[in-house]
Amino acid sequence: MPTPVLMPQMGESIAEGTIVRWIKKVGDAVDRDEPLFEISTDKVDAEIPAPAAGVLTEIKVKEGETVAVNSVVATIGTSSEVSGQEPEAPPAPPPVAPSRDAVVPADVLDQPHEKTAAPQRKTNGRSATASKPVEDDSRKQRSSPLVRRIARDNDVDISQIHGSGLGGRVTKSDILEYIDTGTRDSGPGAREDQESRGPRIFEPGSRIPDPGARVEIKPLSVMRKKIAEHMVMSRRTSAHVHSVFHVNFSTVERVRQQKKAEFEQSGVKLTYMAFIAKAAVSALRKFPIVNASLDGDNVIYKKDINLGIAVALESGLIVPVIKHADEKNLLGLSRAIADVANRARSKQLKPEEVHDGTFTITNPGQFGSQFGMPIINQPQVAILGIGTIEKRPIVIDDAIAIRTMAYLTLGYDHRLVDGATGDQFMAEIKEQIEHFDAERL
Amino acid sequence: MSKSFDVVVIGAGTGGYVAAIRASQLGKTVAVVEKQSALGGTCLIWGCIPTKALLEHAHALKVIQQASEWGVTIPSGTPAINMTQVHARKDKIVDGLTKGIAFLFKKNKITWIKGTARLAGPGKVVVFEGDTQTLEAKEIVIATGSSPRSVPAVTIEHTRIITSDEAIHLKEVPKSLVIMGSGAVGVEFASIYRRFGSEVTIIELVNRLVPVEDEAVATELEKSFKKQGITVLTGTKVTKATSTPSGVTIEAQTPDGKTQTISADMLLVATGRGPVTTGLGAEEAGIKIERGYIKVDELYRTSVPGVSAVGDVITLGIGVHPQLAHVSSMEGIITAERIAGKAVQPINYDHVPGCTYCDPEIGSVGLTEARARERGHDVRIGTFPFGVLGRARMAGELEGFVKIVADRKYDEVLGVHMIGPRSTELVAEAVLALRLECTVEELIKTIHAHPTFSEAVGEAAHAAHGAAIHM
Repeated sequence: MPTPVLMPQMGESIAEGTIVRWIKKVGDAVDRDEPLFEISTDKVDAEIPAPAAGVLTEIKVKEGETVAVNSVVATIGTSSEVSGQEPEAPPAPPPVAPSRDAVVPADVLDQPHEKTAAPQRKTNGRSATASKPVEDDSRKQRSSPLVRRIARDNDVDISQIHGSGLGGRVTKSDILEYIDTGTRDSGPGAREDQESRGPRIFEPGSRIPDPGARVEIKPLSVMRKKIAEHMVMSRRTSAHVHSVFHVNFSTVERVRQQKKAEFEQSGVKLTYMAFIAKAAVSALRKFPIVNASLDGDNVIYKKDINLGIAVALESGLIVPVIKHADEKNLLGLSRAIADVANRARSKQLKPEEVHDGTFTITNPGQFGSQFGMPIINQPQVAILGIGTIEKRPIVIDDAIAIRTMAYLTLGYDHRLVDGATGDQFMAEIKEQIEHFDAERL
Repeated sequence: MSKSFDVVVIGAGTGGYVAAIRASQLGKTVAVVEKQSALGGTCLIWGCIPTKALLEHAHALKVIQQASEWGVTIPSGTPAINMTQVHARKDKIVDGLTKGIAFLFKKNKITWIKGTARLAGPGKVVVFEGDTQTLEAKEIVIATGSSPRSVPAVTIEHTRIITSDEAIHLKEVPKSLVIMGSGAVGVEFASIYRRFGSEVTIIELVNRLVPVEDEAVATELEKSFKKQGITVLTGTKVTKATSTPSGVTIEAQTPDGKTQTISADMLLVATGRGPVTTGLGAEEAGIKIERGYIKVDELYRTSVPGVSAVGDVITLGIGVHPQLAHVSSMEGIITAERIAGKAVQPINYDHVPGCTYCDPEIGSVGLTEARARERGHDVRIGTFPFGVLGRARMAGELEGFVKIVADRKYDEVLGVHMIGPRSTELVAEAVLALRLECTVEELIKTIHAHPTFSEAVGEAAHAAHGAAIHM
C-alpha cells in the first residue's frame, strides 16, 4: 500500500516549506527513517526521513518548489507499484506534530544594543502590536500626488506598499494592485490576520536602488526571511528589557579542568555551556514565571524545561531544543548540547527538535562579544546570553584578583517578568555558577 | 578578416546612435553600421531637423508678412522666399548636426562602419560595401528605422508624386500641392508650403485632421488651416493618382460618394512610414516579424537571444508603436543599459509626448478625451484658450488652447493636449506631470510665471476643477 509523504509542519506559524533537494530519486529503495529529502522552512534546513520503507514511486514536488504543509510531496510504495497512483491510505502523520512554538533564533549579533530602562507595560499587548508597525521607522515612502490621493481615498498606508518605480517610488499601478489584490490590511479583522501572519520584513523605506547603483540584489533565503520575520515579530510582541550580571566562572573552570578527562572518556567534551545550562535549569525551576509564556489574558506555565540552544550556521541561525533538560545531569546536558549543535550544522535535525522550547540560551561570547542583548525567542519570555568567558581583574576583599569571568545577560519580557524577578533569576544563576557543587555532577 | 565588438548597432538614426553612445559610456566596445554617407538617420537627414528648419523659415516669413502690423517697414514690395537660400541654411543646419554625431562617435570611440548590414548567424553581422567584412558582436541592436510608405492606389515616382524625402528638397515652391495624409508629416508640409505660397489641399481618409490627436485639437487645426487658405478634404479617399509632365491628376472619393478630380503640380504622399528591413536577413536569422516590423518585448529583445531592436522598425505587439525620434532614443538608452547589465524599466507609452510643428503647432501627451472615455474613466475636461493671455496678445498668437483630460475619481491627469503658440515646448510640463503622476490639484498649485504662454496650463487645470481665473 503506498504511503504518501507529506511536507512536515515545522511550527504552528509555519504554513509552507520549500523542497531544497531530493536525496532519493524515483525508483530508489528507502528504509523507514532514511533521509528522503531536504527542506527549508522556518529556520530549519532539515533532512526529512522517509515515513515508511519501500520504493520512492513518485515525486510530486520538484526541487525549489514551495508547498503548504501537509501537502503530499511524494509517494512511497512497493517496487511493483506504478508511479502516479493515488494514495489510498489516510495520510500518514507528518514526521512532526504542530506545536505552539514559533522558532525564533536568539540572534544577538544584529540587534541594536539598547537597554530599555523603563519599558512601558502594555496592558493590551495584542492591540498594541497590531497598531501601525514601527511608526518611528516609517520614513517617508516616495510616491506621487496621485498615489497619495488614492491612498487617502482608500485609507491605505503607502508605507506598506512596495514601490516599483524609480528609487522605489510607489506608482499608481503599485497602489491599485495593492488595493485590488487585497494585500492591504483594512479593518481590525485584517489587522489580526496580518499579525498572525507575522509582520512584513520589509519595513517602510526599503527601496529598489536606482538603476545603475553599484549593488547586487539577491533574494533572501527561506531561512533568512523567516529569521527576519521572527526577529521583528518578537521585538514588536515583547517589552524587551535586559539585565547584565558579571559572573565568576573560576569554580566552574576548576571543576571543568578536573572532570574534563573523565568526560572525554565518555566521549563528551565538557563545556561551559553545560554548566550554564545546568544553572539555568535550577533557576528556571525556582522561578517558573521565566519558564512561561503569555497568551492573551493567561499565563501559561510550562511544566517541562526544554532548553533551546542557539547555534550559528553559515546561512543563519537555528535553535535546537533539548527536551526535559531538567531531567539531565551535567553529562547528559553536555552530550545533548554537543549532539544538537553537531546535527544542526550538518542539517540532521529533526523538525520536532526545533520547537517546544521554553527558554533559550545563546552564546555571542564565542565570537568575542563581552555581552549581548538577545531578542526573545517567541513565545518564550526570556533568553540568556553568554558573553565571552575570559580572565579579568576583579576586586576580591579589597585586592585585585585575576578570575575567569563572564557577563551573562538576561533578555526578558517585561509584560510578564518584572525587573525584580529577572534580577533574582539572574542572581540564582550567578549563585549556581559561582558555587558550583562538584558533587552534583 | 573579422572585427569583434561588444555591441554592433545597425543604423545610425536616433535609436541607433544614442544606443551606441550609451553602450560606449557603459564601457562597451561599439560599432555602428550605417549605409548613408552621414550619421543621424531619418531624423537628422530627412525628418525632424530639415522639416523643422523649413518651418522656422515659414514662421520667419509669416512674421515678415505681418510687418506692417508690427510697425516694421519693408521698403521694396512684398516679402518673398528664396528657396536656394532656404535650402542652404537648412542644409548647413543638417550638416552641422550630423557632424556633431560623428564627433560624438569619435569622443566615445565608436567605430562607424559604412555599408549595408546583414545578420549572418549568432553574433555575426556581414557588412557589404566594397569589400565584404564580417563583424563579430556579443550583442546586436537593430535600429534600421523606417521609410515613407505609399498606399496601393498611388505609385510614387519621386518627381511629381513625392514623399517627404523629396519634399524637403524642392528647388521651387510648387504652385499647387496636394497632400495625402494629415499626420504630422502631412500637416507640417501643408504649413510650410502654404506659407511659401502654394495652393495646398490636404486629403485625409478619416473624418478629421491629425487623427492621433484629441478631436478638439483637430477641429481647431482645421479651422486655422481653412483660415490660412488650405483646402481640407477629410473623409476622402484617393482612388487614383497619375503624373503627367506638367503635373499630377488625382481622383478622390468624397464622403458623399462622389468622385472629385483634382489637378496639382505635385502630390505629396504622407500616409505613413514602413519598417526598413530590406537586406537585413532578419527573418532568415529567426527573428520574429509581425506585419513587416520586428517583434520585440517590452525591453526590446527580439525572438533571437543577443539581438535587440529599437525605433521605427519595431512593434511591441500592442497598439501602434510611435515612430518618434525621442521614443527611439529612449529605447536605445534602455537597450544599451540592459545590455550593460543595468536595471531598466519599460517605457510607459501613454507618457510619450507628441509634437507637431504645423502652424498652429500641437503638443500633446497622454490620453485623448475619447481614449480616456473608451478606457472607462470618469472624465473631466479643462480647457483654456491662449488668446486670453497677455503674452499671447503681445505675440499676436491668439489661436489655440490647452485642454486637460482628467479622471474625476482620483483627480489624475490623464492627458494634456495643446494647440497654439509654443505648444511643442509647453508640453514638457505636461509630460513631467504624467510621469510623476500629478493630480490636477497639483497643477493648479504649481506657480506658472506671468506673463507666459504656460499660464494656459495652470488655467486649464483651474478650468478642470470648475473655473479658470481669467475666464
